[in-house]
Amino acid sequence: MSRFTAGPAATEAAGEEFARLLRPGDVVLLSGPLGAGKTTFVRGLARGLGVRERATSPTFTIVRQHECHNDLGIATLHHADVYRVTSLDEVFDLALGELVEEAAVAVVEWGELAAPVFGADVVTVSIAVTSDEGRTIDVDGAGARDRAEALARWAS
Amino acid sequence: MSVVLGIETSCDETAAAVVDDRWRVHSSVVESSIAEHHHFGGVVPELAGRAHVTTIVPVVRAALESAGLDVAHPAIDAVAVTAGPGLIGSLLVGLAAAKAYALSWDVPLVAVNHLEGHLFAPLLETPDLAWPVLTLLVSGGHTMLVHQTAPGEHEVIGETIDDAAGEAYDKVARWLGLGYPGGPPIDRLAGEGDASSLVLPVSMTGDDLDFSFSGLKSAVVRAGEKRPDLAHADIAAAFQRAAVEQLTRKLRRALERYDVAGVAIAGGVAANSALRAAVTDLAAQFGVVAHVPSLAMCTDNAAMIAAAGLSHLARGATSALHASADPNWSLADVS
Repeated sequence: MSRFTAGPAATEAAGEEFARLLRPGDVVLLSGPLGAGKTTFVRGLARGLGVRERATSPTFTIVRQHECHNDLGIATLHHADVYRVTSLDEVFDLALGELVEEAAVAVVEWGELAAPVFGADVVTVSIAVTSDEGRTIDVDGAGARDRAEALARWAS
Repeated sequence: MSVVLGIETSCDETAAAVVDDRWRVHSSVVESSIAEHHHFGGVVPELAGRAHVTTIVPVVRAALESAGLDVAHPAIDAVAVTAGPGLIGSLLVGLAAAKAYALSWDVPLVAVNHLEGHLFAPLLETPDLAWPVLTLLVSGGHTMLVHQTAPGEHEVIGETIDDAAGEAYDKVARWLGLGYPGGPPIDRLAGEGDASSLVLPVSMTGDDLDFSFSGLKSAVVRAGEKRPDLAHADIAAAFQRAAVEQLTRKLRRALERYDVAGVAIAGGVAANSALRAAVTDLAAQFGVVAHVPSLAMCTDNAAMIAAAGLSHLARGATSALHASADPNWSLADVS
């Protein structure tokens, strides 16, 4: 399911609305080239989950935790960025698999590399650059299939 | 006179230093594992953690020896250590070592916020500096403006809403194939380029004192893709000009709003030649003192951690031996 966004504000709004489709235990793998708007999308997603502080780039510390306030049963957002991680061994060393928690959602930027530790049941979000400001946000993955109707509404 | 051993392992430097309460640095040893990370375009957390394990004891020993102290029973009053923010695996190595030293020498442990440590760097080079001071703290993990009225008395008045300035440097450098850390090679390459060959946006995020570097990074990548003929030196020059322009515009705005005696820059990006020149210039325009630290004092070191520790020790603010590391410890939460 794809949604087009015309600029950073629209990408952030898409993230905020996407948050309403999330469920406790979800793992979202976020991919897209440098500057595509991954952190922008997550900033909106965090707001959608009722995170009160600003979700800034987690590149430096790899993972940031945010307390959420919502009616979705999601208490924590784990925001990870494995941009600097170069091998699957390191993904294991970082124990990223432990980010999967009952009352939490994990969003992993540059998540393609980390995919094997999260199993098949993930939601993938890929952001493609279509023009200077324009982006196409594509949502897929086994974890997304059981909410196809809601996703279609999100995309439209 | 109080003397404190400082230990710093929040990222890729293993450092130890001995400092006294008149802000004199008796020794400062820094061992970097940066060469091991060069190929990866950034610090690799697991590599950094392992490197700290092998270097921490020799580095502490070297710091004590060059301060003229007995390495087995040094005459120190406390062990100060960085407890965050930083990479959790790296922080834990320094913290565990500091606890062991504090326990065996029977002196207090002082957990120090790494960013507060950076705020003490100017004091180590100008012990009689006049307050208040506005500090622009810029590194790979952080970008913020801090108003300080006295040592240990600070307020964060602006910070990045997305990427840190140093992170933008690192990411653009990696995209240009320049390796890690990105600051020095971009700074060098920018000197050979023409900044006017590419116009990049200077993000101002409204009327506040906050920063934004995500848009600049994206603009560089988009422009480079659209104009493959652009020389890397020109891209580096244009990027550096836009980055430094944003930092100095915000600093100027802060100087207009706060009545201070000096401005300081701190953190790894404070080593950038264009930023150093721009801040020196700005300070002269406002008639305030510019505290532009030596290169060794810009980058991570333990002398600044020891200095922050001394300030806490003077107020009796020591830490329990079960103190834990906090990878996201905010400067705003430092009391």
